[in-house]
Amino acid sequence: MNLPTDVKPASGAEGKMARRDWILLPFLALLTITLISVCAELVARRTFSESATSLESCLVLTDPASGVRGIPNSVCWEKSPESPLVEYRLDGAGYRSGMEYGPKSPGTYRIVMIGSSLAMGERVPFEGTLAALLPVELSRRSARKIELYNEAMAYGFARNAALRFQDALRAQPDLILWVLTPLDVERAGFTYVKDSFNKPAASDSPIASLKNAILKGIRERGGSIVVGNALRHWLYEFQSQRQYIRSFLLNRPDEGEAGFLKGQLSPQWQAHVSEFDSYAADIEQQAKAAGVPFVATFAPNRVQAAMISLGEWPPGFDPYQLDRTLRSIVTSHGGTYIDILSDFRTLLGPEHLYYPLDGHPDAQGQAVLAELLAKQLAGGAIPELKASTSSMAGSSQRN
Amino acid sequence: MDSASIQFVLFGLATALISNVSRSRSWRSMVLFLASIIFLAFLSHYPLAFVPLAGFLLLGYGGLLVVGRAGSRWLVASVLTVIFAYAWLKKYTVLPEAIFLQFPYLTVGLSYIFFRVLHLIIDTGGGERQHLGPGAYLLYMLNFTTLVSGPIQRYEDFSRDQFAAEPIELGPRVVGLQLERIVRGFFKVNILAMLLHALQEDAVAQLVQPSPPALKVYAAVRLAVVYPFFLYANFSGYIDIVIAMARLMRLRLPENFNRPFSASSVLDFWNQWHMTLSNWLKTYVYNPLLIALMRRISAVEMEPLLGVFCFFVTFFLIGIWHGRTSEFIMFGFLTGSGMSINKLWQLGLIRAKGRKGYRALAMNPAYVSFGRGLNYAWFSFTLFWFWSDWAQIGRIYQALPAFEWLGVWLTVCVAVTVVLASWERLRAALLSIKSAQGPVLTSRYARVIYASALALTAFVVSILLNQPAPDIVYKAF
Repeated sequence: MNLPTDVKPASGAEGKMARRDWILLPFLALLTITLISVCAELVARRTFSESATSLESCLVLTDPASGVRGIPNSVCWEKSPESPLVEYRLDGAGYRSGMEYGPKSPGTYRIVMIGSSLAMGERVPFEGTLAALLPVELSRRSARKIELYNEAMAYGFARNAALRFQDALRAQPDLILWVLTPLDVERAGFTYVKDSFNKPAASDSPIASLKNAILKGIRERGGSIVVGNALRHWLYEFQSQRQYIRSFLLNRPDEGEAGFLKGQLSPQWQAHVSEFDSYAADIEQQAKAAGVPFVATFAPNRVQAAMISLGEWPPGFDPYQLDRTLRSIVTSHGGTYIDILSDFRTLLGPEHLYYPLDGHPDAQGQAVLAELLAKQLAGGAIPELKASTSSMAGSSQRN
Repeated sequence: MDSASIQFVLFGLATALISNVSRSRSWRSMVLFLASIIFLAFLSHYPLAFVPLAGFLLLGYGGLLVVGRAGSRWLVASVLTVIFAYAWLKKYTVLPEAIFLQFPYLTVGLSYIFFRVLHLIIDTGGGERQHLGPGAYLLYMLNFTTLVSGPIQRYEDFSRDQFAAEPIELGPRVVGLQLERIVRGFFKVNILAMLLHALQEDAVAQLVQPSPPALKVYAAVRLAVVYPFFLYANFSGYIDIVIAMARLMRLRLPENFNRPFSASSVLDFWNQWHMTLSNWLKTYVYNPLLIALMRRISAVEMEPLLGVFCFFVTFFLIGIWHGRTSEFIMFGFLTGSGMSINKLWQLGLIRAKGRKGYRALAMNPAYVSFGRGLNYAWFSFTLFWFWSDWAQIGRIYQALPAFEWLGVWLTVCVAVTVVLASWERLRAALLSIKSAQGPVLTSRYARVIYASALALTAFVVSILLNQPAPDIVYKAF
């Protein structure tokens, strides 16, 4: 709407405002802002609600012997702001395995999966997780019965995976699959500290500092604002791939979340990699000693997936760098490394397969990961899982 | 300091505040000059980067002095020299690359300085202006509110307000209106344009990457619909901010947009879109060219066709001015062709129906609505050569077969016709709700309500995203 924005040279009453307007206009502005803020907060609280219970009530977070572990036969529910209400049902060994731990039936090929929250299927109902979908897809491709026992665990980064690795070997696997994420390397030596994942990102920007100070003040008084997260969720979903990558890299110039995307890993990330290497060596040595084939793969995080799909990134960045580093670590200790990263080049908008704020893949993301992993595992990397000709024909017909 | 960032707005408001400390013209000019120098300093940290710009300003002033003293004899030479220097500094591809400067330098604002320099030289050569001092010249050229992307202000209008012994009034009502306009402009650039840009980028990605055909058609329609709106939000939002800032410094800048998508023809559109640019070119290209041609070709029946030709030349130049690559030549060709064809259509209708019949048709709501849709679709089509390059245009057009593209453009034309017609009706209905003081929706109370809502949204989103303000597209020209 085109509105007049100037007035004729003011003279007398025309240029003056009525006295009541000096009070009424600021009051109207304040009222508008208050009303919009309150309504937006109420709507956000309704649509971005969080459950009072969480996955953590099913976990022992600081067990000196096993690090983070699940409480056997426990059940808990969690709804994070972006996810549906998800049930976590742990088996007798304390894993979200989806199957009861027991001896293998003859002719069955058993995979034991280890890893952290992504592999555990956090924020996704079990039937939509990698653990549920991968064996079905692999069985279809390889035309043999495959079962997957999921020992991945929230916070199950490298150190915790190493501490619990004997559990994986006890499950009589034909193959151990380690699904890695950037966090598995960054937090390789992780021990649980409350709220260590909820710290606001440090920022040099005065506006961001102001925002953090306001939120801190509200939290300290026992309050919370949901609308900010709701808006961020919506904005991140709406941003184009290019806008999202640009804004992510601008807001995380430090070595934290974006450090592994640099073409040259910083000393801080080199230290993370070195720490990860020592746990990987330990795990792979145990697998080798037990004579179990060991396979690792790397699932990208949201921004990395977007960068790979877009096919371009700012100078100084390289979203494949960490993947290459992990390949060399895993293969140097005798394991097999399978690459699913390059398949993200063909995906349109893969960033939409993740919860924008939380960063975990959603159900659709888990399904895509299962598809990509099955394709690689049945593609010849593991001879026992090599796709049969008939199933390949079926697959190509389906596609 | 990004062109439409919070920092820029605060900088402008602070300058306006300081400028209003005294009503004296020396004080206001000094504040504007210092603010413009500070603003320039934000654009680059390397002193060497300013040298070519300074040289161009010096050349312009030299040309002005020469034409002022020697009269129109040196006018053509001065104008050609300035045009050559501009093309050289902007590295137009028609010039050999070897002659270009090989160090990075500032070209932001050069295009708009170019228009102001030419305007001064041509008017002085025509005897329309007295001597202009270097201080006034620099202040006019470097005024930070018009430096980056216009609007193109005539010197007479600038000096009338800037050097007035008694500056124009700035009551609370005017201040309120300007603050509201800044909020509106900030919202347009930082929120609306940002969201529209996301839609455009996603549509391009969907077209050039493997995706189902139906999705590609949908993406093509989105792309065609979204970009003109994005450009409007981006550019007019910035213009809103600088016009309001200047007004707070008691300086009236010319309007650059007048509801352009309400135009029902290409001819009308360019009277309502980037108005200061098309007015400049009409004054300094179209009119002189038409007069010169009419002097040479005296046949009366040829006069309308000469107008058509002059429209083509003028708007072809608009295209070329936007950039130095062959894409902009194509953009100019399409824009010039659109203007000429529209003019020929108008002439044909007048011939067929007579002036009265044509006027009646031009008032017909269905004709007007369809004209709007057609103009929008045409503008969107020409803009492909404005925002893209040949390689990308090739990829985009190869994404769909030719008949599907035809369907896409027809869909865009019909959809925009319906949407814009509905919007015009809604707007008229809303503005018809009146109180004793006028339309309720433009009352100060309504303005405060929606300005507060826009300000809150823009502020919150800026804080949450915490990213630099989007670039102003016209900053690149």
